[in-house]
Amino acid sequence: MASLTPFSFRAGKSALHLLDVRCKFFIICLISMTMLKASLPAGFLYFLILMFLFKKAGLNIFSTLNSIKYFIVLLFFVFAARAFSMKGDMLFSFYGMSITKQGVNEGLLVAFKFFLVMLTGIIFSATTKPSCVKSAVQWFFKPVPFVPEKRLAIMISLSIGFMPVIALQARLISDAGKARCADLEKNPVKKIIHLVLPLLKKTFLSADNLVLAMESRCYSDDRTDPEFTPSGKEILFLAAGFVIALSFIYF
Amino acid sequence: MPGKIIEIDTVCHTFADGYKGLKNISLSISKGEFIILAGKNGSGKTTFLRHLNGLLLPDSGKIMVNNKNVSNNLVRTRKTIGMVFQDADAQIVGDTVFDEVAFGLENLKFKRAKINKKVSLILEYLNLFHLRERNPSTLSGGEKRKIAIAGILVMDPEVILFDEPFSNLDYQGTIQVLKTIIDLNRSGHTIIIATHDIETMICEATRIIIMEDGVIKKDGKPHDIVKHLESHGVKEPCSSRFGLGLQPWLP
Amino acid sequence: MNNSKQLKMTVYTSLFVAFIAIGAFIAIPIGPVPIVLQNMFVLLAAIILGPLWGLACVGIYLLIGLAGLPVFAGGTSGIGKLFGPTGGYLLGYLPCVFVTAGISKALGKKLSTDIIAMVIGSLIVYGAGVPWLKVVTSMTFEKAVAVGMYPFLIGDALKIIAAAFIAKTLRPVINL
Repeated sequence: MASLTPFSFRAGKSALHLLDVRCKFFIICLISMTMLKASLPAGFLYFLILMFLFKKAGLNIFSTLNSIKYFIVLLFFVFAARAFSMKGDMLFSFYGMSITKQGVNEGLLVAFKFFLVMLTGIIFSATTKPSCVKSAVQWFFKPVPFVPEKRLAIMISLSIGFMPVIALQARLISDAGKARCADLEKNPVKKIIHLVLPLLKKTFLSADNLVLAMESRCYSDDRTDPEFTPSGKEILFLAAGFVIALSFIYF
Repeated sequence: MPGKIIEIDTVCHTFADGYKGLKNISLSISKGEFIILAGKNGSGKTTFLRHLNGLLLPDSGKIMVNNKNVSNNLVRTRKTIGMVFQDADAQIVGDTVFDEVAFGLENLKFKRAKINKKVSLILEYLNLFHLRERNPSTLSGGEKRKIAIAGILVMDPEVILFDEPFSNLDYQGTIQVLKTIIDLNRSGHTIIIATHDIETMICEATRIIIMEDGVIKKDGKPHDIVKHLESHGVKEPCSSRFGLGLQPWLP
Repeated sequence: MNNSKQLKMTVYTSLFVAFIAIGAFIAIPIGPVPIVLQNMFVLLAAIILGPLWGLACVGIYLLIGLAGLPVFAGGTSGIGKLFGPTGGYLLGYLPCVFVTAGISKALGKKLSTDIIAMVIGSLIVYGAGVPWLKVVTSMTFEKAVAVGMYPFLIGDALKIIAAAFIAKTLRPVINL
């Protein structure tokens, strides 16, 4: 999966890596929600904190920015749409379109907030093992009725496991096609079918084997719960999270 | 004479499409045996193995494991008899080596502390401990196969079934896995290996069973069976063909 | 539903979660713009898994993306993406999979009826995605439709036809 996902987990020993995943998850949600109300200075302060955490976690900010460049382009459109459409003091205009001061401010702020939420998500993905994410989801869903949280956790594990297998098979099937001049096929529907059908058949076959392997290992929905290992700094991070959230709301 | 662990009495199995997978199979297996189940593709080896593990149930006849009928004691059977599948990739459930090995114990609702202890012990025994945080799908074929073995071994089985354990393995991987299997047999586990290529382990085996068309054609000691292999579609080991008897495959 | 069948559906549904995630990355070069297969896998999940497991499938996909696993387009994840400009399409998969599966099931899972079900399902995705895009970016409605719907319609039509044939061949193989 590594080649597909630039933000997948990077092993490390930073405080963020070691933080209890439930705590980390809660803080991320808190910050992402309250971000909507954040002002530019508060957002900028948070940006500095994020940069510090990126460095601490051993992540390269420039390669991260490079890998989300399409998202940044999208943000530019968000900014442009706001800048053109807001009514207010005109900065300059051409061909009947006008850019207003309020529009620029508003556009910048909205785009910047999306950017910050994105970076927050990235730092979470990069410092949290998929298996921990799964355990946290299971833990948070425990009190939710009608959701079999243990089966949910297994399904998350399985789908994460399937992803690299599917990606590899897709490459093999596409290469096998190319080796027999599949590129010459002009019918797009056939093109899709020739890739997807063998891919589905092959992976469903191995899914059948997985069902058997799980049965032979006594699979049951009633399983041992996951364990969490708090690092001892949870209170500190929670407090910091609340301070940031409050600063978003009140400044 | 050590005690019988598996007793199979006139077992038949017909698939949903009418194909007869097993026809009147009867045999018994003693503790500590090392059995090669030989036969060409489609001879019924896999169907037979799946019956021992309760993944398929006989249409007629019965299978007793430690004097308990498999059909009525699925969980007990699967604890006593572990099965390592042919496609190592398809049986991976966990997203780290540790979780993968712990899967069976979690299904049996062992306490977390007990799971951690048992899994660590098994990983150390098989020299896999340094890989415990790795994603199983990123490991070599031999390592994956050993992890599959660890996932079975952690449940303390008495019998371990292998379905083509050396398929798709390179030389190093084959050596690793073969040594592991031999060690398991020396430590008292009963081993049953289904394969069409018997050369690698014929020296270690105590018994060879040849299957063809769902029927047992030959059953006896390797020395007595080896000259009958080719008439049932299984390759005779080179050393035997050249009149050198049975030579160990491991260097 | 017996245990074995349920385990089978559990594994198949997980497989489709993975397909939907990978679908954001599998592109087939057709014309100038390569078409991405993600929405086709959502539609396939619907007509193969049925309404409930299909809903679970898309729900889990969104959940793991929301929870920070990089499964959204471009290897992204998190609340920022789900509530970002293109989040409406992602959330639209939920009603889409349920309705598509329901119609397909009610009409008897035939090639022609599956196509009708998938067309309606695709429209639901745009019904959620386009207004969302409009609100978040403050575009006009016409503009949102022009950038967020029209360019994809031909690709969608091709994908729906392909998906109908794929489902027809796959159903007997996986024997649900």
